[in-house]
Amino acid sequence: MPGTHIETLDNGLKVILRPIPEARAISTWVTYRIGSRNEVPGMTGSTHWVEHMLFKGGGKLKKGDIDKLVSRLGGKMNAFTDTDFTTYFETLPASAMDTALFIESERMRNAAFDPKEVEAERTVVISEREGAENEPEFLVEEELWGLAFHVHPYHWTPIGYKQDLARFDRDPLYRHYLRYYAPNNAFLVLAGGFDLAVAMQHIREAFSPLKPEAPPEPMRLVEPEQRGERRSDLERPGAADLLALAWHIPPFVHDDTPALIVLSTILGGWRGFTPFAAGEWRSRANRLYRALVDTKLATDAVVRQELKIDPALLIANVTLAPKASLDRVEAVVDAEAEKLRKAPPSKAEVDRAKGQVRSWFRYEHDGVTYQGMLMSVMEALSSWDAGESMLARVEKVKGEQVRDVARRYLVEASRSVVRFHAQEVPA
Amino acid sequence: MTLPDRAVLDSGAVLVSQALPSNPFIAFRGSMPAGVAAEGDARGVAEFASRLYLGGTRGRSAAKIANRLESIGATLEFRNSEETLVFQGRCTRETVRETVRILAECLSSPAFPPKEIERVRTEILNDLRLEADDTRHRALRALSESVFPRGHPYGRDPKGDERRARAIRRREIAEFHEAHVGPAGLILAVTGDVDRALVDGAVAGPLSRLEGNGDAPAPIPAPAAHRPRAQWIPLPHKSQADVVVGTQAVPRLHGDFYALHLANLLFGRIGLFGRIGKNLRDEQGLAYYAFSTLESRTAGGLWSASAGLNPENLEKGIRGIRAEMDRLSTEPFTEEEIADGRDNLLGSLIVALERNAEVAAELHRMEYYGLGMDFLERFPEIVRDLDADRVREVARKYFDPRACSMVVAGPVGRTRVPL
Repeated sequence: MPGTHIETLDNGLKVILRPIPEARAISTWVTYRIGSRNEVPGMTGSTHWVEHMLFKGGGKLKKGDIDKLVSRLGGKMNAFTDTDFTTYFETLPASAMDTALFIESERMRNAAFDPKEVEAERTVVISEREGAENEPEFLVEEELWGLAFHVHPYHWTPIGYKQDLARFDRDPLYRHYLRYYAPNNAFLVLAGGFDLAVAMQHIREAFSPLKPEAPPEPMRLVEPEQRGERRSDLERPGAADLLALAWHIPPFVHDDTPALIVLSTILGGWRGFTPFAAGEWRSRANRLYRALVDTKLATDAVVRQELKIDPALLIANVTLAPKASLDRVEAVVDAEAEKLRKAPPSKAEVDRAKGQVRSWFRYEHDGVTYQGMLMSVMEALSSWDAGESMLARVEKVKGEQVRDVARRYLVEASRSVVRFHAQEVPA
Repeated sequence: MTLPDRAVLDSGAVLVSQALPSNPFIAFRGSMPAGVAAEGDARGVAEFASRLYLGGTRGRSAAKIANRLESIGATLEFRNSEETLVFQGRCTRETVRETVRILAECLSSPAFPPKEIERVRTEILNDLRLEADDTRHRALRALSESVFPRGHPYGRDPKGDERRARAIRRREIAEFHEAHVGPAGLILAVTGDVDRALVDGAVAGPLSRLEGNGDAPAPIPAPAAHRPRAQWIPLPHKSQADVVVGTQAVPRLHGDFYALHLANLLFGRIGLFGRIGKNLRDEQGLAYYAFSTLESRTAGGLWSASAGLNPENLEKGIRGIRAEMDRLSTEPFTEEEIADGRDNLLGSLIVALERNAEVAAELHRMEYYGLGMDFLERFPEIVRDLDADRVREVARKYFDPRACSMVVAGPVGRTRVPL
């Protein structure tokens, strides 16, 4: 992988630079260590709403300027609010590095939060949630995290609850912004065609004047151990029954994560550390596919290992085939989990899983945008190069370790199960 | 950037390639004329076939193919489209030869095992049910069916319908395959960690062994004009409704294409989705998404404008879309808007082609439509030469509300608003 330069400005902004001399584009990512895990009940969705407000100008940027500056250059831009972080990016022709630095430095401290704009955005954010509600998969996902976490803020998803979105007003949102959007609670990633010294000089000019805030209090909530299986049955109009099972797993930085990566790959396939590069591609050489899709009990079965700062979930999602029963499908998933607990997977299976993880790591380096994204996500979870080191640890995983983590984490007594019973769609 | 390499193999297949040294793997995208347009009255058979190319060959089972591909860390996908069977994937320098060999094997000697056929049948039946419950899919599907004549490959559901999905048999699939899949008309675009020697040896070699005849495809008929209508699809259990407004657009090689492409960019794509996004999302706060799409194909095209709306805002949203279409006459695109659009298109040449997968798709498109390997070199001149008045004129002509159908799918209640 290309060389990477790290530096921290006096105001606490960590800068991660990866020059790629052949690249004609440059991708600029600014990530804040604030996500829905830092929210409190009654203010769910506030981090995501703040993200929306940061496209509306402030400081030297008038409303619409961000849009225009990026569009005129043919650039891409977007932002994502996760449970653990919020990240903004622009990918532009390499000659336009300063435009991205200008946008991001203004965005960091000078967003306007015009009360009229906040109000106008309320319906947009609610509309985003309503669009998600149209999908039964979203309803299942929201129910699953709510079931598995009773104390920790992973209980809710980053979009927040509609009743909160309908109620809270501008001032708490603005306070949320001022509190968390500071150079010492952020980091900057640049990947693409630039000169290191020039980039560093321009970054200093753009960001050094920004003052740090007192460091935010660490989020201290810890989910108590789950004692006993939790289940929820949703009965809603829909086209297919859905099953979601979630087991508690440790945080990304835990020593068991590499073996869990191999386990989840064997069980349901691997699609990379970040899900974007994989697109629609689905693994077919995994145990759940063979046990559920090959047998026509399901039309889709995927496993997601949620890589998070705090203890999170390993989730199996199944879309049932017509006439397949939820009981039967659940029993098949149970049987596959039991097999993993009982015996180590074969060397060939472990090697295939490692090969997949290795290849996806390369595919996640497809272009400057994905490279910027991968470094940003990894830095938010642990360190910008955690992907490389995790890959090296995955390479050393043995079949017995996979069996051991299956015994430790695929525990029926602490899992959560959501069953979506599709009701006939009303005429 | 150097021009892509183009080679015509003895079999007639065309291989296009370009090195992108900054990306450490290989992406490829290919097609052959075995999509919906090739199936004639045998509705749904192209979709069935496309889902079976990873379902086993005469030499190895579906499980063995999946095991091998995933052991070498390669991906291979097949997909049906209106005009072609599309295949795409990723691999590395070290695994490209074997990946292309597997691709050629899947295409030249598929076994269509009965067990896999039944699995695919289950999958298609489930997809039909899932899509019937998806507001955006329902609206778009109904719009395509409304805009194109009955049975036209651009309008019909590639999966056919439930009756056809239940009725299709192995023989029909095998006959379709024999008739349409072969090296004739095959295009493969390869990018990333490649060079001429690798392409000649590891890609062209296995590809040249691709068997099968594959008839020359019959030309796709130009669709007859459509009569606009409105359709309201009630899905009362949903939170949000999808509105789609649209009409026929020009084919890719039509003289109006580039002007229309720019007009569509300004109407519903640039920035946070052009004029329509500014109106519905930014100014009125009605929708999370509002955008327009131009899909130009060989014999015709589809233009559509879409928005996701709370049922209480349906009337306002539809009026907003209509107002923006009308404004194309009363307040045509300004010089500044057109200049911004031109700059966007020129800049996007770099930004939209930074990934292997994007470059492979673009190279494939250049070959498929016969744009020439120097197309990306010529594109800036094409954009700079676009006459501003022509852009305004095509916007009025093709985004004419009187020529558009409208479909609303979701919790529509008693609301019935004309466009």
